[in-house]
Amino acid sequence: MPDIVLQANQLTKTYTSADKKKLTVLDEVSFDVLQGTTLSIIGPSGSGKTTLLGLCAGLDVPTSGSISLMGFQLNAMNEDDRAYLRNQYVGFVFQNFQLLSTLTALENVLVPLELRGEKNILTKAKDLLGRVGLSERMNHYPSQLSGGEQQRVAMARAFISSPQILFADEPTGNLDEENANQVINLLFEMNRQEKTTLIMVTHNLELAGKTDRLLQMKGGRLIQDSTTRANPHD
Amino acid sequence: MIEYVIKIKKRARTIFNDRWVWKMAWRDGRHNLSRLFLFMASLITGIAAVVAISSLNYSFQNELNRNAKELLGADLVINSNKKIDSAWYELFTKEKVALAQDAEMPSMVFFVRTNDSRLVKVTGLQGPFPFYGEMVTHPSEAYHKIQNGNFALLDEPLAQQFGVGIGDSLKLGEKLFRIAGTVSKIPGRGGLSATLAPAVYVSLSSLDSTGLIQYGSRVEYSIYVKTKSETETKRLIELVKPIAKKLGDRYETVERRKEGMGRSFKSIYQFFSLLAFVSLILGCIGVASSVHIYVREKREEVAMLRCVGSSGWQAFTIYFIQVFVLGVVGSILGALAGTSVYRLLPVLFKDYLPFQVELLISWRAISEGVLLGLIVSVLFTFLPLVSIRFVPPLTVLRTDFLPGKIFSKTRLIIICLIVVFPFGIATYQTKNLITGTLFAFGIGCALGGLILVAMGLLWFIRKSFPSRASFVFRHALSNLFRPNNQTRMLMVAIGLGAFIISVLNIIQYSLLGQVEFEGNQNQSNTILFDIQPSQRDGVVKLMTDTKLPLKQLVPIVTCRIHELKGRTVEEILKDTAKVREWALTREYRVTYREGLTVSETLVKGEEHHFKKARDSVFVTISEGMDENLKVKVGDSFVFDVQGILVKAFIGGIRKVEWPKDPPNFIFVFPKEALASAPQIWVATTRIDNPQTATRFQQRLVQNFPNVSLIDLRLILQTVNELLGKISWVIRFLALFSIVTGLIVLAGAVINSKFVRMKENVLLRTLGARTNQIVKITLIEYGYLGIFSSLTAMILSLGGGWLLTNFYFEVKFAANFYELVLICLSVILLTVFIGWFNSRRVINTSPLQALRKES
Repeated sequence: MPDIVLQANQLTKTYTSADKKKLTVLDEVSFDVLQGTTLSIIGPSGSGKTTLLGLCAGLDVPTSGSISLMGFQLNAMNEDDRAYLRNQYVGFVFQNFQLLSTLTALENVLVPLELRGEKNILTKAKDLLGRVGLSERMNHYPSQLSGGEQQRVAMARAFISSPQILFADEPTGNLDEENANQVINLLFEMNRQEKTTLIMVTHNLELAGKTDRLLQMKGGRLIQDSTTRANPHD
Repeated sequence: MIEYVIKIKKRARTIFNDRWVWKMAWRDGRHNLSRLFLFMASLITGIAAVVAISSLNYSFQNELNRNAKELLGADLVINSNKKIDSAWYELFTKEKVALAQDAEMPSMVFFVRTNDSRLVKVTGLQGPFPFYGEMVTHPSEAYHKIQNGNFALLDEPLAQQFGVGIGDSLKLGEKLFRIAGTVSKIPGRGGLSATLAPAVYVSLSSLDSTGLIQYGSRVEYSIYVKTKSETETKRLIELVKPIAKKLGDRYETVERRKEGMGRSFKSIYQFFSLLAFVSLILGCIGVASSVHIYVREKREEVAMLRCVGSSGWQAFTIYFIQVFVLGVVGSILGALAGTSVYRLLPVLFKDYLPFQVELLISWRAISEGVLLGLIVSVLFTFLPLVSIRFVPPLTVLRTDFLPGKIFSKTRLIIICLIVVFPFGIATYQTKNLITGTLFAFGIGCALGGLILVAMGLLWFIRKSFPSRASFVFRHALSNLFRPNNQTRMLMVAIGLGAFIISVLNIIQYSLLGQVEFEGNQNQSNTILFDIQPSQRDGVVKLMTDTKLPLKQLVPIVTCRIHELKGRTVEEILKDTAKVREWALTREYRVTYREGLTVSETLVKGEEHHFKKARDSVFVTISEGMDENLKVKVGDSFVFDVQGILVKAFIGGIRKVEWPKDPPNFIFVFPKEALASAPQIWVATTRIDNPQTATRFQQRLVQNFPNVSLIDLRLILQTVNELLGKISWVIRFLALFSIVTGLIVLAGAVINSKFVRMKENVLLRTLGARTNQIVKITLIEYGYLGIFSSLTAMILSLGGGWLLTNFYFEVKFAANFYELVLICLSVILLTVFIGWFNSRRVINTSPLQALRKES
């Protein structure tokens, strides 16, 4: 039986608006994620998908409830400890790529390992950029790359630290169909090779259908948790 | 799965051992330096202003120490307003010291060839003066020539003013002299004194033969003493003190002159350092605002770094390193720029310095400037930078996410330090805690006032702007209220420089208004003094013959205070000296008459009068002097009038408007008390026609050579020139503030480039033409210029009114033509800077802009 890498228990997130009104964007959501599985979170705009992703990745803390990531209780950690944890176990792919505009593609990919203080990382970064088809573009700046190329750099950056869990927020949201397909194929292929757990937020049901499991959100509540394939490890 | 909480063990990293932060600082900084242009420019200007003024100060102090003896020309000087007493000769002969002498008095000089005359300071010299430094004459041997009695030397500006030179003749009193040359430098006299009170030098013996020295003449006699050593000087001073006290003479030492000179320069330095301080504070605002904008632009990148594992301190350190390195570079560049400007300053100050200042590079000023720059770049950037620590990683998912307020001890400490900084730095600059505190408080008030006026103005404009105005005008205005546009900050930054210049303008204009005689047809503009009683009727007849009105004819009697409230001056001086010594020991020039003049009002008691029954003399005293002497109505005095003691009581206190209808007096006696005392007379008249003035002066000098004439129009002209020169220097230094304000504007424009680009793309997409976008941009900066200068004007009129009424105590007056010119200059500069920095944004095609944005 694979380990549980993420455990969300009664997660609730409430914001206070400017006129002091409380707004509950996530309401007592609980679920577990097994190592190596792929999972999609779907739902209409404002259903709490992104908030859930942010809480799971330790980017924010819940108002109540608890999250355990790789066995670590995120609630009990301060922001810097959570950052350290993300650096060790987590990778990210965002809708708007989030590359550092002042760094070249290669330098962007190197950042997570540099933060760990690892040495001799250049070969690994170049190799990864090669795998995403950007060997010739590694010294280009984000502004010199197309949207698809930028997202591939982001994927290389996400995988360079060999993360246990990869969080993806609408990874194809800003791409045309051709680039989107290319990125998705690459994402799933690398995910399979690295045996990474993938948690993805998407509006795209076809894309969601490619994952092992599907969480459907509405009005801040988890309304459906379904398995899309019989054996998630196929 | 077992749940467990682990205290994460991370390798402790500091700025020194975390190579990654240095690497990231470089990688990020290499493409972002232009964004920090404002930061650098603000720092450079602020530090340059401080270093320039400090360098001048240190050079002056060095020069003062080096040239101390040249300031006096001797080791010791004895000054007296009566003939040198034999006691001094006895002492100095006994002590076997070298002596030189001079006597100075105001008198008219008449230039024979040009038929011109002028009031000058006549100086009679005798002996080997100066003992230190040199008297520079053209030709060089001219000084020796005057010793034979028939030659005279002139201050260079005087010779230039009347177009006279070697060989020309001049008349002093009854005696004719040939001009032997001009004096360009003489120890103890600066360039300005030669302009304000030019001198004619003759030998001391020939001064006696001019017949100028008569009863009542104001002659200042001096003996210059050269000793063999410092020790001998100190010993001699101890011998001099009791004699000086006994005779009522004064003595001056090199140290005293140095202190006096240092004090005068310190006042000027403190004033100019205030202007440098304003630039520095504006620089600090620029530094803080630029880094604030920079950090805001970096939020998403910081959030990304936090996502991939960077700690808050690591993210902070990346940008801190960038700012610190640029701070070091900016401080050094600022110090170098300041040193270059300092080399210009002596050119501006040359008229006010008693000696030429050698332009040595002041390493002390430079190092202080660099240190100050570092403090400014750390202190004023720390607050925006420290917010990087608290950028939530969630920002990568939601750019509009704002965390709740986070309490930070670091932030609190920095805020406290920022509040203390202006007080600390102003105190250090002025070397005086009270002045420094007042400086900082004053600047705080000015800034606070500007902010309030700017807020009020913006509120009013927003409320009252016509909604029917054309699109470009409305859109340009709405741009000023764009979020994060910093309009208020820009209005303050630009307005502060304009405010300083306008206030100076108002003060200068008000002060000139005070000495303006042209406007008042009834007021005297010419004063004749040193008229002997025997000459009185003759002078009056001359005035009548020349058809000049006799405005005033007043007697003047010289006297000293012998007793005050039943105690002798000596007894009072031995006291803890609550009464000011100068007020007790000075010579008073008093008058006698009945009633008050137009410039006087009785505020207490009765007018001066004589009570025959009790044989009592009741005098009136001018308001203010009663406080200096600590007297009130009814208190008694004993005056020493030329050796005769006259007892008097304070009968009343007069308020005197001193500049109005001179001469005015501290003490006025009843006629009966002084009518028979030795006296001289002063007459005043009004001469409107310059030709009449010249004709009258010529006849006066020829018929009454010892009578001097003061042309108040000439004084007005001199005061005007002096204020003009001073205000030029001030304007030059105030330019630093204007430049810093414009740099802040340029930086703000550059930093808002991307927002503007986005707006322009949208406008173009909706069909706006380039000329419309250009118009919107120009009008927007036009508004900014107008609002900034309006803010400055409103505050400067208010501030100017307060200063003229309560500090200078003169009537408020403003030259609105010049104020409008200042406003127009500010508006044009603002529009130019705004347009210049936006022109690339204006000319960018929508596609290019979209590409950049993506």
